[in-house]
Amino acid sequence: MVVNQFGQFGALLKREIIENRNLFISTPALLAVIFFVFSIWVVSFVPSAEIAAGIEYLSLLFDGLSPLQMAPAFLLPAVPFIVTLYICAIIYLINSLYQDRKDASVLFWQSMPVSNLQTVLSKVVTICAIAPVFYVAILFVLYLLAVAMLVALGLTYNVQVAGLGYMFMASVLSLLLIYLSAITTALWLLPSIGWLLLFSAFARKTPILWAVGVFILLGFLEDFVFGSQYLANWVESRSNPQQYMFFEFTDVVERLFSYDMLFGVVVGSILISGAISMRRFID
Amino acid sequence: MTNIVEARSLVKRYGDFTALAGVDLSIPSGSISGLIGPNGAGKTTTMKALTGLCDVEGELEVAGRDPRSARHKLMEEVCFIADVGILPKWLKVAQVLEFVSAVHPKFVRERAEKFLSTTEIPSNKRIKDLSKGMVTQLHLAIVMAIDVRLLVLDEPTLGLDIIYRKEFYDRLLNEYYDGDCTIIISTHQVEEIETLLSHLVFIKNGRITLDSSMNNLADRYFEVVVDPDKLTAADTLEPIYTRELLGKKSYMFEDVPRQQLEPLGEVLTPTVADLFVAKMKEDHHGG
Repeated sequence: MVVNQFGQFGALLKREIIENRNLFISTPALLAVIFFVFSIWVVSFVPSAEIAAGIEYLSLLFDGLSPLQMAPAFLLPAVPFIVTLYICAIIYLINSLYQDRKDASVLFWQSMPVSNLQTVLSKVVTICAIAPVFYVAILFVLYLLAVAMLVALGLTYNVQVAGLGYMFMASVLSLLLIYLSAITTALWLLPSIGWLLLFSAFARKTPILWAVGVFILLGFLEDFVFGSQYLANWVESRSNPQQYMFFEFTDVVERLFSYDMLFGVVVGSILISGAISMRRFID
Repeated sequence: MTNIVEARSLVKRYGDFTALAGVDLSIPSGSISGLIGPNGAGKTTTMKALTGLCDVEGELEVAGRDPRSARHKLMEEVCFIADVGILPKWLKVAQVLEFVSAVHPKFVRERAEKFLSTTEIPSNKRIKDLSKGMVTQLHLAIVMAIDVRLLVLDEPTLGLDIIYRKEFYDRLLNEYYDGDCTIIISTHQVEEIETLLSHLVFIKNGRITLDSSMNNLADRYFEVVVDPDKLTAADTLEPIYTRELLGKKSYMFEDVPRQQLEPLGEVLTPTVADLFVAKMKEDHHGG
């Protein structure tokens, strides 16, 4: 049996997806269904004339715009999905190195010839790059259905639905922007990811209380001993939700190649190394 | 014969509690070794130390590697079954096989599937939907499809009924053990495995109290049903354990020549279970 490192890592990623299918697939899928059903329900109460006028207004609004110019408008419906992704990411990270210790299955995982480095990295890659793929894919299906509904309504009310192809292309571009935003934000928040993983690997019980409690304690200690609030200010400076959304591809590049980003990645990597060391011995 | 496990002065503390208080252990390659001890004696901690799952002080080498620094490499040579509960409950049977075949270079999936075809385990069921016995069978199927140098079984049949327990050991012996690999089994149910073993280790309060091949046991330990008029003479030979048996006194001796014991009464070879009880109660009898 030939096993290579890529094959091993692929199997670890697959494991994460299967174990966390509720967080990565079921939750956004349910949200999409609620969104879609709610939209149809709302539309069913709107008089025909207003629907026709609305579609025409939409056509006029985007008239003459390129898909790239339209794309930011399609970010708005994605906001609930992005918020859900961040909530699910916190749940995932805090349990990722704790749950298998709690149910003792860690003994099975550790009985395989897989290093702790690979295990922890598979969790980082999962949350930074794999989980957003599912959210974006589900948003894609939702946008596809929305455009199909607009076409159907346009045909029903005999309204000219100009530029729908462009609108669809714009929605796809917006999804690409959302995916890149998610990866960039994950790197931006790498210190938080490392912090949660560290306490997920460390705590015997309630890792979320440890992660939050120790952070608050450190903040108080800094204030009490040095009279400064560097830690709190630094975290606050990286916690503005506006930093997590990019409306232009150039903004993504600008953020990725900034010193602030580099510093955060270094701090995050140190914390992730701590989680790997902590994982070494499970008792 | 070389040893696949060499441990010297292993110490493990959990706060105030000392789980291992200087364990010295040598397991010969190719043996079926039993690590026997009562609950809380340090069996699981020892097994975890051997497989790199807990940090210990002392010298330790397993299959030529230090488990503390090279666990994942060691796991290419070592298989470990902790107890029946450790397979991830959310995985389906087929997914477990798929995962192991993707990460373990010595896993032969066809062999595991062949084993499973002789059981009633459906491949599309999740682990949580299987009975305890089925989970053990599945774990055994995985382990038996991996060619390793050392198989470590920590209370592998805990909580199983007699049918599954017997089948587990029968299949392990008949279909897996070929004399090349080494098997270490920890249990507190001595009678269950005593006929399988070629090497015996007793552990008590984090210390090894016996480490011997089964062949040597018969030369080192004797149980004597002492004649009533020889009791004083028997006491002077410092038995490690005494008990009443149908109104007669029975004494257990360690490293006392058989010729010296024969005049005292009927000399018997103790069962492993009797020896276990004697060694566990040794301190109370001044041996």
